Amino acid sequence: MASRTATKDIITLRGSAAIVSEFFGYSANSILYNRGVYPEESFVKVKKYGLPMLLTQDEGLKSFIANLTAQLSEWLESGKLQRVVLVILSKATNEVLERWNFSIETDNEVVEKGESREKSDKEIMREIQAIMRQIASSITYLPCLDEACVFDVLAYTDKDLAVPFTWVESDPKLIANPQIVKLHSFDTKASSRN
Amino acid sequence: MIVRTPPAKKQRATEMESPPPAGPGPLVIYEDDPPPSSLPPTDSSHHLLCTYQCRQMVKSDFIDAFSNAEKQVSDYQSRLEALNNNFCKVESERKKFLDQFLYAEQELAAAKGREQALQEQLLKEVHDSHERLTKQLQSYSELEVKLQNEMNLRMKAESSAALAEERASSLEGKLSHLSESIEREKKRLHNDLAHLKKESELSVARITADLERMECRAHNAEKESELLQEQLDDVKEQLSECVQQKSEVEKKLSSSTLQEVKSTDDILVKHLQEELRNYDAEVREARKLKSSHENVELLKEKLLEEKSRRERVESELSKLQELQPSMKTLEDEFTSWKLMLKDIPGVSCSEDIPVKFAALQKEVIDSMMKVGLANARLKQVEVSLDAAQIDKQNAETEAALAKEKVDASKSEVNRIELMLSMVTEERDKLRNVVNELKLAKNDEAGHETSNQTFLQELESSLAKKECYIKELECGLCEQKEVNSRQREEIKLLNERLNNEARRIKSLERESDRLGSEIALLESKLGHGDFSAANTKVLRMVNTLTVDNEAKQTIEALRTELQKTKEKLQAVEELRSQSGDAGKLVDSYISEKIVQLKEQIATLEKREERYKTVFADRISVFRRACCELFGYKIVMDEHQRPNGIPVTRFTLQSIYAQSDDEKLEFEYESGSTNILANDYTSHPEISHQVEIFIRKLNSIPAFTANLTVESFNRRTLT
Repeated sequence: MASRTATKDIITLRGSAAIVSEFFGYSANSILYNRGVYPEESFVKVKKYGLPMLLTQDEGLKSFIANLTAQLSEWLESGKLQRVVLVILSKATNEVLERWNFSIETDNEVVEKGESREKSDKEIMREIQAIMRQIASSITYLPCLDEACVFDVLAYTDKDLAVPFTWVESDPKLIANPQIVKLHSFDTKASSRN
Repeated sequence: MIVRTPPAKKQRATEMESPPPAGPGPLVIYEDDPPPSSLPPTDSSHHLLCTYQCRQMVKSDFIDAFSNAEKQVSDYQSRLEALNNNFCKVESERKKFLDQFLYAEQELAAAKGREQALQEQLLKEVHDSHERLTKQLQSYSELEVKLQNEMNLRMKAESSAALAEERASSLEGKLSHLSESIEREKKRLHNDLAHLKKESELSVARITADLERMECRAHNAEKESELLQEQLDDVKEQLSECVQQKSEVEKKLSSSTLQEVKSTDDILVKHLQEELRNYDAEVREARKLKSSHENVELLKEKLLEEKSRRERVESELSKLQELQPSMKTLEDEFTSWKLMLKDIPGVSCSEDIPVKFAALQKEVIDSMMKVGLANARLKQVEVSLDAAQIDKQNAETEAALAKEKVDASKSEVNRIELMLSMVTEERDKLRNVVNELKLAKNDEAGHETSNQTFLQELESSLAKKECYIKELECGLCEQKEVNSRQREEIKLLNERLNNEARRIKSLERESDRLGSEIALLESKLGHGDFSAANTKVLRMVNTLTVDNEAKQTIEALRTELQKTKEKLQAVEELRSQSGDAGKLVDSYISEKIVQLKEQIATLEKREERYKTVFADRISVFRRACCELFGYKIVMDEHQRPNGIPVTRFTLQSIYAQSDDEKLEFEYESGSTNILANDYTSHPEISHQVEIFIRKLNSIPAFTANLTVESFNRRTLT
């Protein structure tokens, strides 16, 4: 949260984007660990959001997630990001097994006027904690992933957005007959996600 | 409002001090000629003519006039005093009135202040109510916008509902089609069932017929077996007789061989041989009988089995009868299930039911989610409703407060009116007093001009006051009007509030419906749907898997490289140590050889031990065989001239009288054959061989017979 402003309880758009993209990085790590997409031993425990979180030590994955969060932060600041989806695919058949949907609602007033809303740091942290706990607990009733899996990150953006170098247009990779589990959401007063 | 101060009294004081302008002043005798001082000096000659007399006359006249004048003066003075007293009285009265007037004025001013305050208050209230009204209007406009939105949404929902109805109708058509097919299937199944019933009946009948037939056969077989048993008994008896005869004949033969001549021997032998053949035939018959007896036994067993089967079948039949009602009930259930299947839409066969159930479960979950969302929405609406109700209550309390204020202001107005009336009365009284004073002073108008002017001033001020009072009355009327208008407005606002409450309720209902729709759309959204019009999906180029694979291959190649390097190093070391290598190898080989030798030695030892154990065991076995079957058995391997290996068994009876009494058998691939030798070529033995081995094909019988014979011979001899 480097771009946090001086006042503790006021979150600017930049601050909000940083919070949300950082949150996405941690949740991606958590999902990849919990769903066994990457080996257990390549993760180390760190303390974040008042919870023990797992961060990958795989250099490739680290840099991938860093690039991803940077890009997401940029898009969040421009308010053109609608949703981020982490898709888990079968390595052998390329079949979509899971979609982790992160819906994002950006307050356009904040984007246009650069206003900031008040919301306490603690409150946001509590909301994020709830989501992280929910991700960890939702693993218990998801089916086991027996095969080798890979993951992909999709971003639903506005139509007028210029596609960056490292991104390509894709199909939404939907699941034909899905079972949907709704998780909590959190709100930084500038953007919220669930 | 400016409080009017009473007019300055100084002036009056000065007036009081100064002699009245119409006062006595220099006395003038109007009956006489003008005073000599005023006479012109030209008339002095005339004056000198009547000097004394005139002077006396004048003097007396003057004295009279003077005394009169003095009297008059005293009268005037007394009158002046009286007037002065009157004036003082009037003055004091005037002061009193003035004070009263001032008091009234002050009260008026206070009343005006109060009135102004009330006006301000009223103004404020009006302003507040105006603001409230504007707020209400604003909220009303917002609500209208919302309503518009809701209407739009409702239109959309209606269109979707129409679509759903169309779909439903198409589904109903499908359903009817499916129900027809189910009906057909049901009919077919009924036919099948009837057919199967018939078949089962037929099979039951067939089984019962079979059973009866089998029973008959069993009876017959029993009878036959009885007959055969009788025959068997006869044959047994015959056999025993034959054996006896045979033994007798043998005895005879043995005795006869010793005693009789050879010529008769031949005949006898032939005879005996014939007999023997006959006996053989009988023995064969007996065997056949035996086998038939066995058959009979078998048949009996079969019969028993059949009986048990029959019993079972009977029990099964009873069970079948029992089962038929349950089958009927099952059929009923089946039909009811079918009916249920018909009732369930989108289900054509039982296999669809779990799918349907899964779909329904999913729907239930979805609807639960929707319900949750709707509940959340409802709660929001309830909260807003509560807020609105609180607002309404506030507005009502405000209205009540305003009413109270209106009442208070009314009472105030009444009080002011009362005061006004009192003031007017006082004014009238004052006027009367003033009029009286006027009348009293009419005569001394000249003296009282100042008083008059003052009174005029007072009157004018009174008139002004009246004007003020009128104005105040007008203001009061206006206030009343304003109040009544405000009341009407409040009423209107209340009505509007009620309307709004009603509208809020209808909107709540609408919002519930819309909430469910929103939930539906959200579930769609959760699925990942998006409109291609304003959204595009981007994918971050993920080179991680490729990287991983490349990494893995690189890793594998590296490990291989490492291994080959190590090998190379080893080879190089070997090469460098090539001088010592030969020695090393030699020592290594010799060590190996020693080790192997030791192993061989241990294995050989083990083998020998096994061999001794085996030899012990086999000797025990042989001895036991010898003891049990009466033959020493020697086994050895031979090869035929054509190279085929053959095992030969040489048997020597323990009752043998010479070493030549040996039987030789060849064992080859499951078949054992007796070999001809000196002993077997004896006619006696060869005869037995012929009978037991060649004809009856039983080596054990032959050996046993031979054992018995040699035992007999030994014991007899």
